[in-house]
Amino acid sequence: MNNHRPGPTPNIDALEARFALRATARLTEQADALPQDISERLRVAREQAVQRARALRTQTAVATAPSQAGLVLTWPGAGSDSGGGWWVKLGAILPLVALVAGLVLIQDWHGSNQISAAAEIDASLLADDLPPSAYSDPGFLEFLKSPQD
Amino acid sequence: MPDFPGRISLASDKELSDFLKSVERRAFKRVVYAVRDDDAALDIVQDAMIRVAEKYCDRPAAELPLVFQRILSNATMDWFRRQKVRGALFRNFSDFESSSDDADFDLLETLAGQDEDSVTESAADSVSRAQILLLIDGEVQRLPTRQREAFLLRYWEELDVAETAAVMGCSEGSVKTHCSRAVHALAASLKTKGITL
Repeated sequence: MNNHRPGPTPNIDALEARFALRATARLTEQADALPQDISERLRVAREQAVQRARALRTQTAVATAPSQAGLVLTWPGAGSDSGGGWWVKLGAILPLVALVAGLVLIQDWHGSNQISAAAEIDASLLADDLPPSAYSDPGFLEFLKSPQD
Repeated sequence: MPDFPGRISLASDKELSDFLKSVERRAFKRVVYAVRDDDAALDIVQDAMIRVAEKYCDRPAAELPLVFQRILSNATMDWFRRQKVRGALFRNFSDFESSSDDADFDLLETLAGQDEDSVTESAADSVSRAQILLLIDGEVQRLPTRQREAFLLRYWEELDVAETAAVMGCSEGSVKTHCSRAVHALAASLKTKGITL
C-alpha cells in the first residue's frame, strides 16, 4: 500500500503503458540504427517478397482469363475451337451414332429386298396364264399332287 | 480460384512494400531477441515476408499487420523446431523468469518518482546514450520469452490485447499478465542499472 503518496493513485495500467512506450521508443531508436548490411539484406528480402506477390498476381490473372474465355467458346455453334472436354464427349458419342445409322440402313436395305421379292412373286402370278384363284381351288391342288405322266 | 466480382480491394504492390518496410526492422529485432542470431533472424524475417507475399497478397492491406506478426511468430517457432533446441531455450528462460519475480519492487514508486523528479539520477550522465540503448536492448532480450513477445507485440507493434492474444495463441488475460510482468521486470532491471526512462 502506498497510503503516504500524495494525490490520487495513478492508474497502474496507464503507468505500465507509459513506461512500455518509453522503452519501445528506445528500442525503435536501436532498430533504426541497424548495421548497413542488415538493412540491405532486409531491403532485398522485402523486394523479393513484393516481386513474388507481383508474379503470383500476374499468374492468377493469366489463369483466370482463359477460363473465362472458355465459357464462351464452349457453346455449340460458336464457330471456334472449343475445350478438350467437348471433343472427348463428341468422340465418345460419334461411334454410337454411326452404329445406329448402320443398323437403320441395314434394316432399310433388308425391307427393300423383301418388298422387291414379294413384288416379283406377285408379278409372276399375275403374268401367268393360270389365274391366282386356282390356287385356292381344292380340285386344282389335288391335280397338282397327283403324279404327272 | 475463381475471381468473384465485388471482392474487397486487395493490397497493392506498393502497399505491401510500404507495410514490409515499416515493420522489417522491428521484426528483425524481435526475432533476434528470440533466436540470438542475426543470420537466422534475417532468414526467418525473409521467410515470413515471402509467406505473406505468397499466401496473403490477395488480402486487404489492413489485415497485413496481424497476419505478418502471426506468420513471423510461426516462422520463429519453426526455426526452433528445426534447431531442436527449444527445450534447452525454455529451460534457460525459466531461470530468468524465476529471478524476475521481485516482490519488493514497486512500479508505481519507480514511475511516479520519475514523473516527479525527472532524470536527476539518470545514468545518462556517465554512460553514453548508445550504451543505454544497448542496455535496454539487453534487458528486453533477457525477458522470459512469452513476456517479451507480449510486451513487444502489444507496445512495439501496437497490437491491441485481442490481436496480441491471437498472435500468441493465448487468452487476453494471459496477454495482460505477461505484459504487466514484463513491464515490472524491465523497470526493475533498468532501475538496478541506474537507468530511468
